[in-house]
Amino acid sequence: MLFFSFFKTLVDHEVTIELKNDLSIRGTLKSVDQFLNIKLDEIQVVDEVKYPHLSAVKNVFIRGSVVRYVHLPAVAVDTALLEDATRREAAAQANKAK
Amino acid sequence: MSFFGFDATLPRDRAAHVPHPKQAPGFSQQRDAFAGLSGNPNELDNDDGYDFEDTYDGLGDKLDEGDDEFNDETFGGGNAAAPGKDFDFFGSTAKVANAINEEQLLYARNPKKPTQAAHLSYQQDRQPNAPSYAAATKPKPQPAPKHQIPTEIPELKPEMSLWATTSPEATPAKGLSAHAAAHFMHVENQEPPPAQPNFTQPAPAARKYMSLEEVEAEILAKKQAKRAAAQQPQPQPQLPLATQLNQQDGWPGRPVQGFPQHPQMQMQQTPLQQIELPFARGMPPPQQNQRPPQNERAPDHLQRGPIPQQGPGGQLPFPQIPTGPQFQNNNIPFPLGVMPPQGPQGLQGPQGIQGLQGPQGLQQPFVGMQPVQPQIMQMTEEERVKFLEEESKRLKRNHKILQLSRYNGLMTPSDKNFITRIQLQQLVSVNEDSFNEDFYYQVYMAIRARNNPQQPLSQFAQTYLGQQGARGGRTRRQDNHLLRMQQQVQRAVAAAKARPKVSQLVLEGSLGKISFSNVKTPKPLLSIKKQDSTGVVEPGQKPTHAFAGIDRRSILAAAEDIYRCLLDLDSHERKHPGPSLTGQQPDANTIQWFEVRDALVAKLWRSMRIMEPIKEEPNALHPFIAILSVKKAKEAIPRVFRYIDVQQRITILTMITLSLDQVDVIKEGRYPPDTLSLSNETKKKIEGFSQYVLPPLLGYVGDAQIDVITGLLGILLDRVNVLLLSQTQIGLAFLTMLTSRAEIIKQAGHADEQAVLKWTQTYDRLFEVLEDHLLDIFPPHGAQVDDMYVWQFLASMAVGANMSQQQKMVSAVKDRVNENVQASKTLPQEMGQHKLVNTNLFLRALGLDIDLLLSNQ
Repeated sequence: MLFFSFFKTLVDHEVTIELKNDLSIRGTLKSVDQFLNIKLDEIQVVDEVKYPHLSAVKNVFIRGSVVRYVHLPAVAVDTALLEDATRREAAAQANKAK
Repeated sequence: MSFFGFDATLPRDRAAHVPHPKQAPGFSQQRDAFAGLSGNPNELDNDDGYDFEDTYDGLGDKLDEGDDEFNDETFGGGNAAAPGKDFDFFGSTAKVANAINEEQLLYARNPKKPTQAAHLSYQQDRQPNAPSYAAATKPKPQPAPKHQIPTEIPELKPEMSLWATTSPEATPAKGLSAHAAAHFMHVENQEPPPAQPNFTQPAPAARKYMSLEEVEAEILAKKQAKRAAAQQPQPQPQLPLATQLNQQDGWPGRPVQGFPQHPQMQMQQTPLQQIELPFARGMPPPQQNQRPPQNERAPDHLQRGPIPQQGPGGQLPFPQIPTGPQFQNNNIPFPLGVMPPQGPQGLQGPQGIQGLQGPQGLQQPFVGMQPVQPQIMQMTEEERVKFLEEESKRLKRNHKILQLSRYNGLMTPSDKNFITRIQLQQLVSVNEDSFNEDFYYQVYMAIRARNNPQQPLSQFAQTYLGQQGARGGRTRRQDNHLLRMQQQVQRAVAAAKARPKVSQLVLEGSLGKISFSNVKTPKPLLSIKKQDSTGVVEPGQKPTHAFAGIDRRSILAAAEDIYRCLLDLDSHERKHPGPSLTGQQPDANTIQWFEVRDALVAKLWRSMRIMEPIKEEPNALHPFIAILSVKKAKEAIPRVFRYIDVQQRITILTMITLSLDQVDVIKEGRYPPDTLSLSNETKKKIEGFSQYVLPPLLGYVGDAQIDVITGLLGILLDRVNVLLLSQTQIGLAFLTMLTSRAEIIKQAGHADEQAVLKWTQTYDRLFEVLEDHLLDIFPPHGAQVDDMYVWQFLASMAVGANMSQQQKMVSAVKDRVNENVQASKTLPQEMGQHKLVNTNLFLRALGLDIDLLLSNQ
């Protein structure tokens, strides 16, 4: 749930999603769900010359499993908090394993 | 005649037919070898060996030849009707079905006592249209009249049977009365294909004799029927209402049974519905299955309307429904196309709300008021006003309910359940438990909300209702509901958790146990009890002496320990019971909370390992200092400072001061000879230290008294290589921190003479140490590096220095000042300006200004 929780805070920020098929899409993150499926608005393909067929597309829904990377806006990430969240997650996992 | 088809002719008759020589033996006849032995010549004359008359016993004479005329009937037609292949077994049986049935009933009844139940069952069995019977007939495909949909035919039957039961004519004791005949004719009218002889078996006409028991049963049944007839009208008035409500309940435009093309049909069905409804309690007909909630709700509505004068049975618009015709209707199903008296009700249906207003909405209160009118006359003025007020209030409320009821039934119960589940899930997900799950989001949003308090809080509150959202004014009541619900959910969840989970099942008589497993709790292969890690001694933590403090792994583990404690404290902090009112004794909860908090802080303190003894041997690193070498430990310091008290803060400060030359940022912070800059890693460390560790220390030092400062500086001078310190950024920053604070206290005049004197002595010692190395404190190639911290230090020293000391300082760094001024001219505008400002810090402390220097040149 950590990633879900994390991506929720990025809603309405501009992110770049790099897909496993090397397509990179930049757009405003509209929503994300527990499978890390992603909804983007006002999208723009990074290499538009190579993928002209997407120039007319305005928004997309990306299945979480096809995402390779998400480029984040650094200002929108609270690293210290993220570290803490990671620690909590790890602790929770350890508790569960007990 | 021959029955079995034999040749029944007697031997003597045979002669006439068969021209067989009498003497000659036949083919099939053994020749009688002893024929001649009889010795009777007379007999020999007689050609026949035996005389028929001798052997015949004469039985044939006794036969009554006259009774043969019924043989046909008994054995199924002799010569005339040969049995064909299309023999009608069914029809033949049906002819005697009554007798068979009776036989059966008698048999069934014999072992039992003729109780009420028996009569009932008897009654039911004998009524062809009794509900159970009707149900049995349903599956049978019946050719329906073309305007009727087949599925409805079963509905027609039960209600007729009901009224047939109550009507005395239907009792079979009287045989086939004219009325009953009419009744059955009607049945046939409505259901043209009654060609099911087996269903008509109890037809009264076929019955001739009755046993005593049957007569008894008959009488009892009659009594019952009367009673039923007496009771029936009572629920009845409700029923039309129910149907009306049905139509009102959000389905105004929708014909009751979905036959928009047959308004006639609707009308016809409306009374049927009414009649059926008493049945519905036991056995809901299909049309009720379609919309189950409304029928149940309908009475609700009625009761909610507060009509005090109304009887408990809800005897409502009785006048509205002409009872007589209705009864007739019940008894005699109206023929097709004939409009029943209740037709208008059916017509009102599609008109929706008007229909609603008419018979129920308005009439109901009026009916309730009717007996009240005379009372009003007798009331006093005041009472009357009051009464009218209440009455209008009630009417208004009724009206509102009715208006709202327009939307009733829009959602099915499963819809509602679904939504409730979502809401509960939401509430549960806000629970403490999932605060762990959704930690980042929640805290991030909370922080953002704190940072700009105007806008995002509401969003946060919206997302997580009740957690810490706005609780004021308008939303308070709602919030209360939510809170209450949330508490309930929490309790429910807690109870569910508290319930011991069954992981094993021991079946009676089985030899072993069956253990379950699911995704969340896989079947444990080994059950090893882990030690409780919340104990005083952490099993993960090595004891004091075992902590080497050197290897990176254990240092990192120790740092994580600190964080774990911090996180525990954080989450504990969130459970703060809230500020107790002044003067009020803190309750048990609060006390407990503080106890737990103290325990956690103690744990945190232990995890810092700050109290471990300092080893005397050289190069022995204190555990705390070792831990402090990692970045995340440095980052933890400000958070630790939030929780620890003053005494603990001073301990930390002292510890750092004591082993300052061992802190990595000092050890590695010195510029190695012949290098122009520090490694990137060290730079980052220095940055981290000055960003995270120094501020809290500075915060403490900023409040410290002068003797503490003097003591700290003394420790530095006694135990630490100050020269080394002076050549590092952090070291200088430390010195600056101490000296400047002392100056501030001195100039503010807060300290007494003694303390100031002591400070001055310590300061002089420091100056002596540094006096000859003032140029060394500059970073090499200072022109390129930001050397502000150096000038800051020099400034703070200069402020506290006496005249001769100032003199020495100026002469020592004069070259450097000039160098800086020169460099500022070659450097880009901004950087040059920066350099000048830095240098000016020192000059101003001396009472000079860089402008003087610039103008001199």
